Amino acid sequence: MFADELKTLRRLGVRHVLLQILNFVSVLASGLMIWKGLGLITNTESPIVVVLSGSMEPAFYRGDLLFLTNPTDQRYQTGDITVYRVPGADIPIVHRVLETHDFTSKKKGAVAASPLVQKQLLLTKGDNNHIDDIELYQGLEWLERKHIVGKVRGFLPYVGYVTIAMNDFPQLKYALLGGLGLLALVQRE
Amino acid sequence: MAPRTRKAASSPSPAPTPAHDDEVPPVPPPKDASAVVDVDALLAPVPGEGRDEVKVNNASAADMKHACDDALKRFLSRPDLFKQIHTHTDVRLALGWLSVLVAGATGLYGWRVPFEQSKPAVWVGVIVYIVLTVVQTLYAYFVEGDIVFVGKRKTFDKRIVTERITITARATPSKPTAPPAYALGLAYVRSAAGGKTLLGKGRTQEERPFTEFFDVKGVMDQERFERWVGTVVGRVMDGKAQ
Repeated sequence: MFADELKTLRRLGVRHVLLQILNFVSVLASGLMIWKGLGLITNTESPIVVVLSGSMEPAFYRGDLLFLTNPTDQRYQTGDITVYRVPGADIPIVHRVLETHDFTSKKKGAVAASPLVQKQLLLTKGDNNHIDDIELYQGLEWLERKHIVGKVRGFLPYVGYVTIAMNDFPQLKYALLGGLGLLALVQRE
Repeated sequence: MAPRTRKAASSPSPAPTPAHDDEVPPVPPPKDASAVVDVDALLAPVPGEGRDEVKVNNASAADMKHACDDALKRFLSRPDLFKQIHTHTDVRLALGWLSVLVAGATGLYGWRVPFEQSKPAVWVGVIVYIVLTVVQTLYAYFVEGDIVFVGKRKTFDKRIVTERITITARATPSKPTAPPAYALGLAYVRSAAGGKTLLGKGRTQEERPFTEFFDVKGVMDQERFERWVGTVVGRVMDGKAQ
């Protein structure tokens, strides 16, 4: 099936093969760098996440794509939708902030109302849940800023199903990667 | 193929080397011709030489151009013709693989180390990657441009003569009045004494439609293409030389 392509590759030499492999690998590298760059700009380790459960219905359904930012100079307010990960939990959870408690710094000269001096403690609850998230906190009583991945700024419906499908059926992921690789190896720019 | 007549050179040189016995065209070159006659012999395509069939999608001008580029490189890289200089390719490979390695290292570091701690290093990695990508793009656009082949040739004719040829190629798009064509541009320099004495220069451009080299199934007529390339290269090589 690929006899023609293999023959062409053998004829064209080492440099050509290296160039073709570079084509494929550089697509992956640029995707990775775009992801990391986006994470740096939004100050969050995971700027785009997929909703996995229905605990935020009717706002977000399973399969929605969420866009997050994590501004250091703004305080989180009641009503913000946050994505947080408790240490010891393997997946992040997206729920709404129910209560916030601010502690001002006792340092001399610090302005009490300035957001940067405050330490925040948060309590969250999913819109579609009956009780708040205390049981999900793995022993903690409050969430702190350092547990928050980010605040939801926007969303796209349904698009996340692609990621869910690739997680549930890993063969799909390998097939896609394999197909991309083959295409990049035999195509020339 | 009609034999080429050669202008008599100012300094006669020895007959063509025996290694070319199987490549000399039916009419043997005259004894008093210059060393350039060897090149003419070499520039003729060898009929019946074992060639792999080249078959491409003849609806894609890009595919046809790449097939022509590869045939050109194969033809001109033969042992006693030009030796290909791979500088542009090597620079592209080096920059490309370096940027991939930087991306990989940054990704690995960001995966291992917690986010807040990793931020400075990841910033450095992303910025280095962007710089490398920009340099790559600028190099490909400004320095490399349309160049497909850079070749060098050293011959000994009472002194070491260095010849350098740079070939650019473009595929002109299809128009209602004209089929897509392959536009070849050649720049040729011939010098001695390690590049300090200029012996001759030549520059030419020629365009042929792809319909002359590819049939309805997409099979390439390599001999015809090589013949055309041979005439163009031969013309630029003795255009203003000697």
